[in-house]
Formats: sequence, C-alpha cells, structure tokens
Amino acid sequence: MFSSPSVRRSVLIGGQAGQGVAKAAELLGKMFVRLGYYVFNYRDYPSLIRGGHNFNVITFSDERIFSHDEDPPIVVALDKRTVDTHKAEFYITGSFYTPDRGIQINTNEALKQGIPPVSQNVILLGALAKYLGIPKSIGKEVVGELGPLNVKAFEFGYDRSVDGERAGRIPRKGLYFLTGNEAIALGALAWGIDMYIAYPMTPSTPVLHFLAKRKEVVTLQLENEIAVVNAALGASYAGANVMVGTSGGGFALMNEALSLQGMSEVPLVVYLAQRMGPSTGVPTYTSQGDMLYALHAGHGEFPRVVVAPGDPAEAFRMTMEAFYLAYRYRVLSIILGDKHLGESHYTMLKEEFRPLVRPERFYVFPKDGYKSYEDTPDGVSPMAVPGSIPFTVRATSYEHDEYGITTEEAHEIEKMVEKRLRKAETVEQAVSSLKPLDVYGEGEKVILSWGSTKGAILDALKGLKDWKFVKINYLKPFPRREVMNVLEDAKRIVIVENTSTGQIGKLLAMETGIITEDKILRYDARPFTPEYIRRRLV
Amino acid sequence: MKLSLETKAENTWCLGCGDFGILTALKEAVTQLVEEGYKKEEFVLVSGIGCHGKIYDYVDLNGFYSIHGRVLPTALGIRMANPDLKVLGFAGDGDTYAEGISHFIHAARYNLDVTFVVHNNQVFALTTGQATPTTQKGFKGKSTPEGKWDEPLNPILLALSAGATFVARGYAYDVKHLTWLMKEGVKHKGFAFIDVIQPCVTFHNITPYVRERIYKLEDTDHDPSNLEAAMEKAREWNYDMDPNAKIPIGIFYRAKKETIEEGFGRKVPFYRMEKLPKPWEEVIEEKRIV
Repeated sequence: MFSSPSVRRSVLIGGQAGQGVAKAAELLGKMFVRLGYYVFNYRDYPSLIRGGHNFNVITFSDERIFSHDEDPPIVVALDKRTVDTHKAEFYITGSFYTPDRGIQINTNEALKQGIPPVSQNVILLGALAKYLGIPKSIGKEVVGELGPLNVKAFEFGYDRSVDGERAGRIPRKGLYFLTGNEAIALGALAWGIDMYIAYPMTPSTPVLHFLAKRKEVVTLQLENEIAVVNAALGASYAGANVMVGTSGGGFALMNEALSLQGMSEVPLVVYLAQRMGPSTGVPTYTSQGDMLYALHAGHGEFPRVVVAPGDPAEAFRMTMEAFYLAYRYRVLSIILGDKHLGESHYTMLKEEFRPLVRPERFYVFPKDGYKSYEDTPDGVSPMAVPGSIPFTVRATSYEHDEYGITTEEAHEIEKMVEKRLRKAETVEQAVSSLKPLDVYGEGEKVILSWGSTKGAILDALKGLKDWKFVKINYLKPFPRREVMNVLEDAKRIVIVENTSTGQIGKLLAMETGIITEDKILRYDARPFTPEYIRRRLV
Repeated sequence: MKLSLETKAENTWCLGCGDFGILTALKEAVTQLVEEGYKKEEFVLVSGIGCHGKIYDYVDLNGFYSIHGRVLPTALGIRMANPDLKVLGFAGDGDTYAEGISHFIHAARYNLDVTFVVHNNQVFALTTGQATPTTQKGFKGKSTPEGKWDEPLNPILLALSAGATFVARGYAYDVKHLTWLMKEGVKHKGFAFIDVIQPCVTFHNITPYVRERIYKLEDTDHDPSNLEAAMEKAREWNYDMDPNAKIPIGIFYRAKKETIEEGFGRKVPFYRMEKLPKPWEEVIEEKRIV
C-alpha cells in the first residue's frame, strides 16, 4: 500500500490496559525510525491499570511529521473490543477472534511453545512487521530490549504472517525518538539538576520515574505537593538546582509557595504537565486549559517565566532555559507542557536540541559582607549559599530590607517592589535574545498558537496556501513587540488551542490590544490532528 | 571575642511573652555550641508564621522565614541540599498541629535530622486569640464564644507514635533547661522534637496552672530509651486543664535510627560538588535510534 514512502501512513494498536499496547507501539516506532522514517506515536489510554481500552496510533512518513491521523486503515487488535471500536481495512488479531478482513495468528499454539500469553503484543507486532515489510532482522534487534523470549514471540508472529506492503530503507542518520517527558528530564540532566522533587500525578509522573533511575540526581517523592514545593525552595536556598513536576491539581496545591518564591527570590523551576480539568477532570487526556492559570497563579505581584515547548527538542532546550532564567535572575520558571507533548513519541533531529544557554552556577562568595536582597540597578541581587560565606544569608516570605529583615516601612516596601519590577524588565530583555516566538511558513493569514498544538498545525500547514503559523514560545515575558510586528499585516488571525475559551486570544488582547474572535478550539480532551484543523479552517 | 547574635530589628513581642525565653535559650545554646566547635555560619534557622516566627528577625543566623505550616518541608530541602547545615526549626502550635500536621508526622517518620522547636502557647495569638488543636476543651476564644468543643491533641504522644527519635518538652520560663534541651537536640542525629510550653500573656496565660504541676524527667528514674515508659509519661498531661495532671518536662524518648539524609547518601553539599553535566550531545545520545 505504501509503495511510495512519502505517503503518510498510520497503524493503530489497541487492547486492554496491561496487554502491552504502548510497548508494542513504541517498538514499532523504533523499527520505522531504524529504517529512516519519521514517526509520531500517539498514546490514548483511560485512567485504569487493568482492562478498559487503550490504543496507540503510530504514524510514519518519509517527510517530517509531528502528529497522528484519525482512523488508521490497519489495526492490530489485542482484544475483541479493539476490533469493535476501530473500523479498519485490515485487522491483525490473535486466537481470540477471526476478523473478516486481515490475518489471525494462532496465539494458542504459541503457548504450547512456551511463549507466555503476556507476549501476545509482541507476537502480533511480529505479524504486523512482516505485513508492513519491515526486515525481520531489524525487528528482532529492536525487540531484543525485551529479552530472548520476546524475540521468539516476535519471530512466531512474523513467520505466520503474510506479505502486505514494502517498507523501504531510507538512508538517513541522526534520528532521535523520544517523548516530551523524557526530553524534559534529559534537559534537566543537561543543565546539571541536583534534585527533582515530586508527588505522583499524571501526566508528569514519567519524569519522576525517569529521573529516579539516575544516579546523578537526587529524586525525592514527598507526602504532598505542598511539601514538594516548599522542600524545593529550601533546597534551592541551600544551593541546589531543583525542579518539581506536577499537573493541575498538584500545581494548585503549590500556589502559596509560588508566591513565596516571588517574595523570597529563591530560584524555582516547575514542570506543569496539563491535563483536562477542571478538578480531577479527565486525568489521562490532554488540554491546554491551565495556561492563564500558570501565568497568574500565586497571590501578589511578582516576575515569572512561562515557557511552552511544542515538541521534545524544544522541551529539552526550554527546560535548560527555564533553569538558566530561574537561577540567573532568581525567578520562578514554569515549563508548561501537557499530556500530548509529555506522552507522545516524536522523531527529532540532533540540531533541534542545540541549547541556547550553557549550564552554569550563579552563586557568589563575597569576602567583605553580604546583603541577601541588595538593591542593584538591574534588580537582580547576587545569590550566596548559606554556610559558604561567613555572613548571614536570608530568605523570607515577609517584605524585607536589603538584609532580609522584616519591614513594614512605606519607603522600604516601595524600594523592594521596584527592585522586583526592574528584575522583571531584566528578565524580559534576557528572553528577547532567546527564541520567544517562531514563525513557520509564509502567508497573509495567520494561525496563532502555543505548546503541543505545534505538531498538528505544522502538518496541516503542508496542505494550506497563504497561511503562516506563529507559535509563542514564551508566554511570559510575552514577546509583545515581535508578535505585533508579525501580526501587523495579517488578513486573518485564527487561534488554535486545546481549550474551550481560546486563552491565547485573551493573552494576545491583554498584551498587545489585538483582538481576534476567529478560533479553532478542541475541548473533548483529545489532541488536534492535521485533518481536524484543515476541516475547521475552511 | 564573644559571639554576637543581635540584629537591629525592633522586638515587638508582648511584655512577658514566653517567646523571649525561647529566644534567650536559642542564643545561649548557639553560643555554647560555637564555643564547643560548631560554626556559626553553619546554623540555619527556619521559622513559620505567627508570633513565634519573629524569632527569625531577632537573631543573626542564616534564616528562612517560610510560610505558615511549612517549616519542616523547607528544612528537609535545606538538609538534603546541604547536610553540613545544622537546621533549627521554630514553629507555632497552629503552624505545626493545624496547618502543617502532615509534615510533622512525615518528618518524624523520615527521621529528618533537624531540631524542631514548637512554641506551643495553645492559641493563635498573632490573629488575636483563636483556639488551636492543642487548646483545651471549653476555651472561649473569638471563634469559639461558646467554648471549644473538641479535646486537645497530645503532640508528644503523636511524635512518639510517628517515629520521632528525640522527643522532649521544655518550658519557656525555664531558660537554662530549655538551653540544655536545644543543645541535646542539635547533637542528636535525627528528628529532635521539642514542644515548648509557652504561655501567651495576652490570650492564653496558664502560667499558674503549669507552675504548680511541672517537674523534670531528669529528676526521676525515667529511662528515655524505653518507648512504652515515654508514652506513659506523655499521658500524664493531655494539654487540658485537668486539676490532677502532672506536667513532665525534659527528654521523654531518645533512639538511634537511620536519617533520610543517610538513606539518600547525602554527604557533600551540592554547591560544593562542582559537578559538570555531560555535554548536551551526550545527554540525548540514549534517544538516538540511527
């Protein structure tokens, strides 16, 4: 079917939780990347541990792709419900069901050969690999990470399948395959993170699992998100480079301490992985609904940075930037991701990861006195670590003088408020030399968006004429001038966002005075696909 | 040269407040510890919010004036980042037993190596006199004009059952004894909890009640290594106004146990490790497929 490899193709693998759907999909993705294809792997799962219905859509192409398709023509079903749920042209199933169209592998026979029922996913992956024309040797190498028994399971399926299509080899090197969550964890490691502190919460939990395995970082799971964020501030005050990770509900619990960050000026990096709310909402599905909240969470006025990566390479880079800005300027940095970015696999190129900042420690070790909140021209007070100098180092939630002693004097208060305002301006200047926004394509009509919608929009753009895509990378400080320049001559400005209200439109109006009511919104907790955007754009 | 711990901050506690006793004991304990070889710059004071919190302003030590109820997680972060630092936590009874009680239980469980002093005046004083979890039943405050309906919490018992490895009670007006307790707390490896009876001269003055019933565990044959005996002693006063109660002060319990810092192998402060992350190309290498 895909004799011409540049045609974008998709396969769906579905089954119950616990049957290994996600693993089979990841392995298939790796096989295609090995062959030189670009792959996107979307994961769809409900909030349960056993049963239910999970599926992944693996989309691959010879051209760059960053999104998945609706209704793939080939379905690998690990249970009957998958067959019933997804209409397809071709099914691959096990002994449990004989499809009208497609192939059935006798998985009962595999049992007799000592292949356990839990390996059904790998058996059917083998059958799929053969059908798609993936060389057996490549499949076996990739499956090897699961051990010899699974290699046997893979061969069992492969040998009993039929020839369908021919996946060609594309001579291409330097392809990386990873999720947004993995990229954020790697970005933190590339910065030199000392501590990661979290309480488990989907969809941020994979970062906790990933870093817990690493010796170079101390990973702590504490009793709740309030403990997490206050411990992070304590650790940061005492000289550690720290990140915390959570989702909406946990982020809400952290709010009081975000405000403490603002007053104490103790550096803090927060990874906020959004999911569909309000409240418990739809815990394993995606949303961008916490954007305005992330921009304003915490009482009182204080500077902050909010970065919104749109793919894993950006997530890697921007995590390093979040650390850089937090520690260089003693501010709060929020990395605003979501379930779609965090748990989807993307194919990335090496150069796309290249950081714009270099890892560094910004502590000072003064010899003749120290003021914790020195009133400097740029508003940034040099940071010393307690115990490293023979002077007192203070951090405080109260308004304070330059030494960090509590004050309620009007002129002292004004002085410190203005110091923090100047610091905000300093941070804004620093961000302007990073990449606060990206513009893709050319045209008089503009799609305006941010974050994980990037993939579907970029792929939709290929079939559109006279459209360009303006992606905001820094929601705070907002690149006001750059955005106004790029939108100046726009004939149409359409917002694409995974929300029901179009929050980027409100932010745009607030920051620039530009108002647009043209919106493509999706709020069924599912991510955009290119078809979805094209359909709605007409 | 005598160690100076003074600051220029104006003291705004009420005349006769028990907090003065705790402040004096702190300064005396740190002074003596420095004379014994501890370094002044390695002490960090963490306070919560309430009358007690002002202690942050009144002593010239490294300090983190944190938010209400969160002294212990803040202290935990400090200790994990730099295990050379000697952390002295000061918190109120509202702070610890209302807003932050989960942290109290977990810090005891983790055996976090800090000294944690609770200024227990059995009242919210800075908010002008409401009941806290340790206020006696029947207390008529502004939020309980008909009298508080619930029984008080016994924090000594709670700490013992949560696994604290050093559990003590002090009295704000016995500065010498409290100084000794603080020093013992600092020297103890693990979670050293000292609940200090600190009568509030304005909203909850139980000084006469306490004075008639107080005695020192050190003057008895109490064995602080015996958990059951410690629990027995803890039950002698349930923070109520029982006329028949006796109020022991001193060390109820002391034990050895691994600390969370040891559990995570924390030895060298991060800021001194000068660890260089791998170049970014090497960090992403594990995700390269071809």
